Amino acid sequence: MEASTTTKGEATSNKVLVRANEIEKTYGSSFPFTRSVTVLTDADLEIRTGEIVGIVGANGSGKSTLMNILVGVLEQDSGTVERTGTVGWCPQEPLLYDRLTVGETFRLFGSGYGMTAEEIDEAKHRLASKLDFEQYLDYRIDQLSGGNRQKINLSIALMHDPDVLMLDEPYTGFDWETYLTFWDLAEELAADGTAVTMISHLIEEQSRLDRIYEVRDGQVYDVTDQEGETDATASERGEETDE
Amino acid sequence: MNRVWTGIRANVSTFLRTPLNVVLALLLPIVVIEGWGQAMAGLPSMPTVEAIPIELGRLLGAIFGVAIIAGLMGLAQMISARAADRRLVQTGYPPRTLLATRLAALGGVTVVVAAVNYGVLWLTISPGAPVLTFVFLVLAGLVYAFLGALVGALLPRLFEGSLVVVFLAMMDAFLSGDSPLAADVPEFVEYFPLYHPKELLQEAMFQGTYTTGDLGFVAGYLLVLLVLVTAVFGVTMRTSGGWSA
Repeated sequence: MEASTTTKGEATSNKVLVRANEIEKTYGSSFPFTRSVTVLTDADLEIRTGEIVGIVGANGSGKSTLMNILVGVLEQDSGTVERTGTVGWCPQEPLLYDRLTVGETFRLFGSGYGMTAEEIDEAKHRLASKLDFEQYLDYRIDQLSGGNRQKINLSIALMHDPDVLMLDEPYTGFDWETYLTFWDLAEELAADGTAVTMISHLIEEQSRLDRIYEVRDGQVYDVTDQEGETDATASERGEETDE
Repeated sequence: MNRVWTGIRANVSTFLRTPLNVVLALLLPIVVIEGWGQAMAGLPSMPTVEAIPIELGRLLGAIFGVAIIAGLMGLAQMISARAADRRLVQTGYPPRTLLATRLAALGGVTVVVAAVNYGVLWLTISPGAPVLTFVFLVLAGLVYAFLGALVGALLPRLFEGSLVVVFLAMMDAFLSGDSPLAADVPEFVEYFPLYHPKELLQEAMFQGTYTTGDLGFVAGYLLVLLVLVTAVFGVTMRTSGGWSA
């Protein structure tokens, strides 16, 4: 198991920013009467600058596990991940401190990114304006609705202008306007060279994706050029599919 | 932006914005100190048991009150923040700095809790060495704050963690506390977290002095707990491979 990094600024057009090779992951337990679950067996993928990449798959297929390994918050059992540049990670559930206000949340995570107070302030106002949560900057996280909490969850991933965005169903709870704004933002970022990777369940989104990876049977398949829908999206609609 | 100051402020704000914490910190000392004192003083009504003075009972109540509150605060601060901590560390916030800010905030809270307990105690007993008495109450609180943090780093859920901390603190205060109901306790009780803080506090309270050996033991206890909590927290916050900043 290895992981390597290179510095920001080395990235060039269409450069591979994340490369995963032969990733294997099994969730196990040393306690008796528990079962181990093999999630990934031989997963490979590449993420390049300026691409919007979708990761699709049936429930429990290992999409979030794969993303957590790519981000680096979960260790793979074997295989390698090469990472370049900076990452912004938006987990599926908002991982935020409930008792802090939105402004304090930006300050704390911004200090983690190594941003100055001015940079944090600028990012906070820019994203609050874009995603329409300016009126909630003094609210505590636990006083926000699910949709607004998700906006903060996403904003924390975006605030330092990362080279790679890793988004695990980032629009959960968004209203239609915010959903459209999110896609405008994703397309703007991709046009500026950011690699946007997201776990997606919605079939109609596939036309917006430059590359689609499907996680199935522990492996990752590039299904970008396949006509029609993937097995995963079909099965999520309850249709029979051929394996 | 200064990570340490931002982290300490965030941790203190989190504590103050949890109303149960504030209520516990302010009200529990009164209940525990007076309750423990009266319970100890009431023992002569039982056959073959000789009561300890009410002052000693109150002192034991104070040390238990500080320990239980600080322990639960340490536990809650670690468990409630665990998932968000992992995300914060992923952004580049160093785990040791994060732990240091949390323990610093916890230390501040412990001083306040000890001050409240000392104040309640002072209303009924005049300490021989007031400053030492206060300092040793703080030390007792710090031992349990670190212990709570360690349990919080090890156990994933608040319910199980609370059971461990509460049960441990009650057993500890009971067996370390010269209770006539716990006569002939085994020698290993000396290694319980509150044994030496209680010895220090009792001596400072009633004789105005302290024993260096007890103080050294408490300092060693704190150091060991600090090393353990740092190691466990480091393991739970480990990320595989970084990204360039």
